[in-house]
Amino acid sequence: MTTARSRGARIRSNVFAYANLAPYVFFVLFPFYFMIVTSFKSNAELYNLKSIPFWIQSGVIMDHYALLFQKTDFVIWMKNSLLVAVVATTVSVVISILAGYSLARLRFRGAAAFGTAIFITYLIPTTLLFLPLSQVVVWLGLADSIYALMVIYPTFLVPFSTWLLMGYFRTIPREVEECALVDGATRMQTLSKIVLPMAIPGVVCAVLFSFTLCWNEFTYALTFISQSANKTAVVGVTSDLIRGDIYFWGSLMAGALLASIPIVIVYVLFLDYYVSGLTAGAVKG
Amino acid sequence: MPPRTRADARRRREIGLAYLLLSPALLLLAGVLAYPLGWEIWTSFTSLSPLQDGGTAFVGLENYRRQVEDPQFWFAATVTVVHAAVTTLAKLALGLGFALLLARPFRGRALVFLAVFLPWAYPASVSVIGWYWTLSPPITTAYSVFMGTLKYAVDGALGTGAWAFLSVTLFNIWRGSSFIGVLLLAGINAVPPELFEYATIESKSPWQRFWVVTVPLLRPFLALGVFLSLTTGFADLANVWMLTAGRIVFPIIGTHAYWLAIKAGEFGPASALSLMLVPFLLAALLLLFRLFDRPEREAA
Repeated sequence: MTTARSRGARIRSNVFAYANLAPYVFFVLFPFYFMIVTSFKSNAELYNLKSIPFWIQSGVIMDHYALLFQKTDFVIWMKNSLLVAVVATTVSVVISILAGYSLARLRFRGAAAFGTAIFITYLIPTTLLFLPLSQVVVWLGLADSIYALMVIYPTFLVPFSTWLLMGYFRTIPREVEECALVDGATRMQTLSKIVLPMAIPGVVCAVLFSFTLCWNEFTYALTFISQSANKTAVVGVTSDLIRGDIYFWGSLMAGALLASIPIVIVYVLFLDYYVSGLTAGAVKG
Repeated sequence: MPPRTRADARRRREIGLAYLLLSPALLLLAGVLAYPLGWEIWTSFTSLSPLQDGGTAFVGLENYRRQVEDPQFWFAATVTVVHAAVTTLAKLALGLGFALLLARPFRGRALVFLAVFLPWAYPASVSVIGWYWTLSPPITTAYSVFMGTLKYAVDGALGTGAWAFLSVTLFNIWRGSSFIGVLLLAGINAVPPELFEYATIESKSPWQRFWVVTVPLLRPFLALGVFLSLTTGFADLANVWMLTAGRIVFPIIGTHAYWLAIKAGEFGPASALSLMLVPFLLAALLLLFRLFDRPEREAA
């Protein structure tokens, strides 16, 4: 009887979850659906007043995608984006793990002040920051190069990741670590052998977020880089396919979709870590 | 007392290590950001402009005074506050609901998770084009008449530019709730399930459990989410620009400052304008920091 009841309860809870999520999932996915449809439509149909906007009537065409590969530097932009995102993410997450651990675990005078100092950088108004930052980029000898982005992106990735990891490190009970310390392990050993494995969902989260922020960054990538061959994917697509008031809608959508594939791949790869919540299991006992 | 000195020595080593671990982060931030920040503060006290011929003069607080007396500034400030408040609340509500629904296993959870993650994961600068195409289509498309009618109805009721601003709000909620949801889900995953199970037994109703257990446990993540939502809400430049095609009728502080600097060439007033946000954001940060720290102190 109990199994029957719990099965009934499970079905009810599933139905409840689906019913609640359905409208939200629609809200979330509709723009993407619309972009996909647009990217496969012929221009004649796109600009036909009598057509139905939400599906394709006159056949799927690949012209918009072909234009992207034949007439633009799309492949090079993707390579640039990937390089920048991987380097900046790796550097930032390593720095953040060290800083986050220091702030969360090591008791020292001014920990709170240093913590605040790191997050204060979020208060620096970014609207005009690209003006003086472009000067810094010139001083560093990195003008119009993707290395400039690798140096600048960590400045907004590190504060965020540090805060995130600090929160994670705090959820790990001190006792676990103290046992290891009593057994003679050094702080660095407890960090790498005990704390980090328990904080894997947090680290994965920091990696995902950093990678995404890098991949999607627009303002600096637009203002610091002028050569087409040095552009990142999102800037290349928008700057080369919107010329003045002319929007190449089909190719824009095609570029927008293709440029985001690496992000989707990264998320699919890390999904299990993220959803299953490994810490929760590890802290038991 | 030897144990005491040994503890002292360990303590000193630990403090040294703490600074050592922090130093890369501090060096990076100070190294790259010190000059730009100094530039912005200095410029806010001067008449710097690429358009004027004469030298740059130090004008003291003149730029700030001019802003406070400018009705355009107060309009932008009001729009900014309302925009940030509305989007943050909507993002929190949607994000929290989504995180709680996704926290429990059900068939197809991974797929739903992926879907809900997309708006944030997707590059804003390109998804914003999808939204622009949907909400403000070119005249020659099939649904442009319908969207046009809607736009004029909204603009007629709320003033010209209202439709464009609503699209910005909608886009920010669409994107931000996805982010907050995922952030909070990470928070829920970090909480040992025993705590939730115990709370389920102890609490009288799901509603009580939500306020007494879930919200306090998620406090650090809520605080981080709110803070990031506020800072982006105040300084959201690129999205407003794209969704309104640069024709900004309802300026927020960020777009107003950008316009002053880039279109009007008034670097001084523009810097002053963006710096005027800092005290408010600082207050928000300190408040949220207190929320962030509290659970730790209670535990200790």
